[in-house]
Amino acid sequence: MVSTLLVAAIVGIALGAFLQKGRFCFVNAFRDFFAYKDSRVTKGVLAATLLTMVFWGIAYQFGYYQGFWTPDWGLTGLVGGFIFGVGMTYAGGCASGTLYRAGEGYLQFWLTLLFMGVGYAGFTVAFPTLESTYFEALTFGTGATLFELTSVPGSLLALGVAVAAVLVYATLTGRASTAAAFGERADTAQLTPTALLAPVVGLRGFVRGTVAYFRGLARAWRHPVASSKQPWDPRTAALGITAAAVLWFSQVSIVGVTGPEARWTGYLLSRVGVDAGSFDYWGSVLFQGQGVGMTVDMVMIGFVIVGAFLAALWSGDFSVRVPKRRRLPNAVVGGLMMGAGSRLAPGCNIGNIYSGIAELSIHSFIAAVGIVAGVYVMTHWIYREVGCAI
Amino acid sequence: MPSIDDVTDTPDELSDDQAEELLEKADLVQDMMGEVCPYPQVEAKKGLQQIESGDLLVQETDHVPCTENVPRAVGDDADAQVWRSGDAVYRIYLRKR
Repeated sequence: MVSTLLVAAIVGIALGAFLQKGRFCFVNAFRDFFAYKDSRVTKGVLAATLLTMVFWGIAYQFGYYQGFWTPDWGLTGLVGGFIFGVGMTYAGGCASGTLYRAGEGYLQFWLTLLFMGVGYAGFTVAFPTLESTYFEALTFGTGATLFELTSVPGSLLALGVAVAAVLVYATLTGRASTAAAFGERADTAQLTPTALLAPVVGLRGFVRGTVAYFRGLARAWRHPVASSKQPWDPRTAALGITAAAVLWFSQVSIVGVTGPEARWTGYLLSRVGVDAGSFDYWGSVLFQGQGVGMTVDMVMIGFVIVGAFLAALWSGDFSVRVPKRRRLPNAVVGGLMMGAGSRLAPGCNIGNIYSGIAELSIHSFIAAVGIVAGVYVMTHWIYREVGCAI
Repeated sequence: MPSIDDVTDTPDELSDDQAEELLEKADLVQDMMGEVCPYPQVEAKKGLQQIESGDLLVQETDHVPCTENVPRAVGDDADAQVWRSGDAVYRIYLRKR
């Protein structure tokens, strides 16, 4: 037990520190890509997800894992994911972003956390009704991951999906840059079909970008103290997050945020005299009949805030920040929508986009689409006066 | 041989003296303390629409990601510089092109 708690502390602090240093925010990753085609954080999210997929695939193949998280799949992922996506865009921080900013001293995001808790509690009260109506009607199949469904060795499957994803990425970026070059050098573009050229151009750009990134990383190592206080490239955070997630996968489970937070809500309410265990959702679903108490993933989530606090303090980014009054609806409504949406899906951006895609869970593919669609719609609403790029 | 600036593409940092001097000359100052993303980005875009080419827009903020997101959001509309107080307050200087 002591060693598991130590793992929880190490993984939590590492995740918090890397999230803070890389400003690893899923809202930022998708919102800024839609709003003005800024893909810095998007690349970090892609890198973390694909790297984690490969390493989890290897760990799964050789038996160094404890279990997958595979909820039954259906339209719940789309509905809950969409609500969560709208909520996190309005709140200005996803499940993991809210946690690391709480550690940076934002009162705004402590308020968001509080109202996520209200969302979890509200869902728990409504759960018996929702189970027989919403979940029953919208669930189509039992949960599964492609790792268990196929007989392909885990490492090969993960590598195959990761390579395919990089190829799609290269084709998309390559097409964008060949289209841009088309106007300037029409003669060469006419000779080679753009469709064939795009992946090659994109891959070349991908390799160039990766090499430049590692060169920059090597340069940063020459002044380790000064560099550690500067903001880091999200891809650096992706490497660190992957390492922490692989350790967690081999010892405990996949990385989730809102599940443990919903347990925290039940636990804290039970401390002030509420019989949380008597509610179906807390008693039999979240705590699985083990009694309402402290679980190891709750400890890990707590240490994420600690890790973010330490990293922010070191970088000169820590400060108790008082929110503008006009931002309070964002914390209240955004928090409620994230709390409720993450239960209705179930799962948040970490559970479904990062961990869920990395573990190739069918439910998470659907929920990820829902979350990104929610971000898209909400981004367009917030940017309605100045316009979006995509 | 590309320099680190080509790779990271972060805005130039201002010294404390430069930051003070430029703040006095600002044509429009936006108070973004206590704000969260993406509102400073949206306000910066709106602010740039109000001022003339060559004018200076300054945002004061305590939101860490803004120092990169705001310059990105305005893109080619303005030249960006950033000042970090080291105490969780940041200023973003946008000179309209």
